[in-house]
Amino acid sequence: MAEYEELDDTGRRDFLLKVTSVVGGAGAAAASLPFIASMNPSAELLAKANTEVDLSGIPEGGMHTVAWQGKPVFILHRTPEEIKAMKATNGGLQPEQDSDRVKKPQWLVVIGVCTHMGCVPNKEGPGWTCHCHGSQYDDSGRVIRGPAPNNLEVPPYRFIAENKIMIGQA
Amino acid sequence: MNKFIAACTLCCTIVLPASAAETKLENFQADTSVVAVERGVDTFMNACHGCHSLKYVHYRDLASLGIDKDRITVWRGDSTLDSAMTSLLSDEAAIQSFGKVPPDLSMMVRAREGGNSYIYSYLTGYYLTPDGKTSNHFFPLTKMPDALEISSATDPVKRSELQEKAHDIVSFLSWASDPHEAERKALGYYVIGYLIILTVLLYNVKLQVWSRLKV
Amino acid sequence: MANRIINWIDHRFPLTSFVKHELTGYPTPRNLSYLWNFGFLAGIVLMLQVLTGLFLAMHYKPDAAIAFDSIQHIMRDVNYGWLLRFMHSTGASAFFLVIYIHMARTLYYGSYRAPRELMWWTGQGLLLLLMATAFMGYLLPWGQMSFWGATVITNLFRATPFIGDQVVVWLRGDYSVGDDTLTRFFALHYLFPFLIIGAVVIHLVALHTVRSSNPSGIDLADKDNIPFHPYYTSKDFFGLGVFLIAYFIVVFFFPHSMLEPANNIPANPLITPDHIVPEWYFLPFYAILRSVPNMVGGVVAMGLSVMIFAFMPFLDRSRIPGGGRYRPVYRMLFFIFMLDILVLGYVGFVPPTSQTIAIGQVATIYYFGSFALLPFISKAEDNWLFKRGLPPKILALIASEEKEKTKRRQR
Repeated sequence: MAEYEELDDTGRRDFLLKVTSVVGGAGAAAASLPFIASMNPSAELLAKANTEVDLSGIPEGGMHTVAWQGKPVFILHRTPEEIKAMKATNGGLQPEQDSDRVKKPQWLVVIGVCTHMGCVPNKEGPGWTCHCHGSQYDDSGRVIRGPAPNNLEVPPYRFIAENKIMIGQA
Repeated sequence: MNKFIAACTLCCTIVLPASAAETKLENFQADTSVVAVERGVDTFMNACHGCHSLKYVHYRDLASLGIDKDRITVWRGDSTLDSAMTSLLSDEAAIQSFGKVPPDLSMMVRAREGGNSYIYSYLTGYYLTPDGKTSNHFFPLTKMPDALEISSATDPVKRSELQEKAHDIVSFLSWASDPHEAERKALGYYVIGYLIILTVLLYNVKLQVWSRLKV
Repeated sequence: MANRIINWIDHRFPLTSFVKHELTGYPTPRNLSYLWNFGFLAGIVLMLQVLTGLFLAMHYKPDAAIAFDSIQHIMRDVNYGWLLRFMHSTGASAFFLVIYIHMARTLYYGSYRAPRELMWWTGQGLLLLLMATAFMGYLLPWGQMSFWGATVITNLFRATPFIGDQVVVWLRGDYSVGDDTLTRFFALHYLFPFLIIGAVVIHLVALHTVRSSNPSGIDLADKDNIPFHPYYTSKDFFGLGVFLIAYFIVVFFFPHSMLEPANNIPANPLITPDHIVPEWYFLPFYAILRSVPNMVGGVVAMGLSVMIFAFMPFLDRSRIPGGGRYRPVYRMLFFIFMLDILVLGYVGFVPPTSQTIAIGQVATIYYFGSFALLPFISKAEDNWLFKRGLPPKILALIASEEKEKTKRRQR
């Protein structure tokens, strides 16, 4: 094959090659972003990521289950007695103060998925019982009997009106 | 000789299609800014939404564009923010009144030759026939009534008002058919700019590599 | 450290020797023009289509009831879905443009001649696979043009002798184009690009056996070959940069130019659009189909118009290498043939009138005539050129080729 001479100025040659490689590499990396982003939830799912809930229909002592991001969310309208009882203790297996788990004491909002293996617990008397393996939660959603290890998860939510919450946005 | 033939061949590809297109359509530039689209939605809801749906456009898309949520609440009435902009006119009622179901408008500006210009010309192309009926210059067989009532507008002020309305409607429909147009073009400038820089660099690398070759 | 890993691999796998022999050190003629960039570009477009297609397939629904809706979902709701879709639709056109230029280069320079016939024929196979892939892909958006284009073209298989009707129903999976057709076309459209990748590998193995042709037509001496890397890697990447600029200008600023308006209307089996038109890259063949008044004849003519390229190594009876370079008559034939294809494309596009049909028929006759008369024209031109005198290098090459042929015959 043909011979080629080595340039004296290898420094400049290397520099050009380095710059081009960096610019090209940056472009290739940037080009991958739309592909990766396309795999993230699309716009209509993000819209469902926030669910507005009107609380005025839930009587004192009553519970409502709504869907949020495909999961059940328990909304419990607690009576003053229930609130007092919950404030008196720190829970069971995962101690936590009741005031850390609610924004307004009469409204408990928790994700209705047992922290053991994911079944949906049932409301029975005070708190919830999970019929899959027997875990029990109190009226603050805290686990008081296993095998579940953690308290029911509190989703991000905020009050957008006196009687309306938006689940999905803290 | 070869270059001449090649040049002729190239010219033919440009000249032929250009002469094939003849149009009496008004040249129309859509204004897809938020303000214009908002006006367009408002006009659309009053003049068109009674019969026409936009099944692929959701009220939340208007919110993403930047239109005030309160205005959207007025427009959507009982429908949720998540729902599509469907008309309340049922298919049966439509066929009874007009003979056919009014077509969905989500993609209408793209679905017609002439695009925006055609839809605008069509909307403003209604006129009164000698026997008092309305017809349309651009689609004589249309079953759609003169929604803007432009055929009976002889006053130039009134006419230009209605043309403004049509302009807003088409701007909205243009946005509706391609909501990402603005984003696409903006990104395009960056991508092409980057590629030009990269190609210049690659050209210089190529020159440098090839300069090593002994003649 | 890297060296140790590479050594470990080299003991077990011919990595370094393969790269040295087939990529970096691979001898390539030093005089290749930019027309030789298009094979590499075709490979890149193939990768682009596979990549965008894969990500589109994560969101597309191949069910007639929701296919059109899923495309709207991709365009409106999926993050950068619009970009994926426009890249894929533009990419299909880019693929054909690159391939047609690649084929034109091969025809002009006579690169299909011995010993490169297999390259030409694997290329022919690749073209057929590409056309099938594009045809099936076009049905997927389930627009008016998708539906009616598929109806017209699947109907053509009725021309099959004896079992024509059954073949059409078998292809469609139903008596008319419907949900079954759509789902199977999706499955096949997903598969075919991988068949194309396999065929490309065979195409490249053939290339590395016979080595690249070059614009001079003469096999260059060893000293006039240069290593593929860094010379042609740098040239290919520069060419890629230019291509990407053109490609992305269309993707970002003129994406709708590749989309028929009628395809923005959901498929309606009860209403045929005024004007059924295939994508631009099928227009010349479509024109030839319509030029023959008989249905079977039209199908045969269209099929032949694609397959006839395969016969070029036999039709061209000139002994002079380099294609149009040293043969002015062949060169003229080539350029008029290019013009003829443009005329056919125009005829395929416009609604048929008696004038355009007549033009189409003349153009079709010229199309097939070029191939049919080539054996005679090429021989006559040869005789004339030999009398006129040829460059000594060419004469030397022809002489050595004759020697090779006699040696092979004697064996």
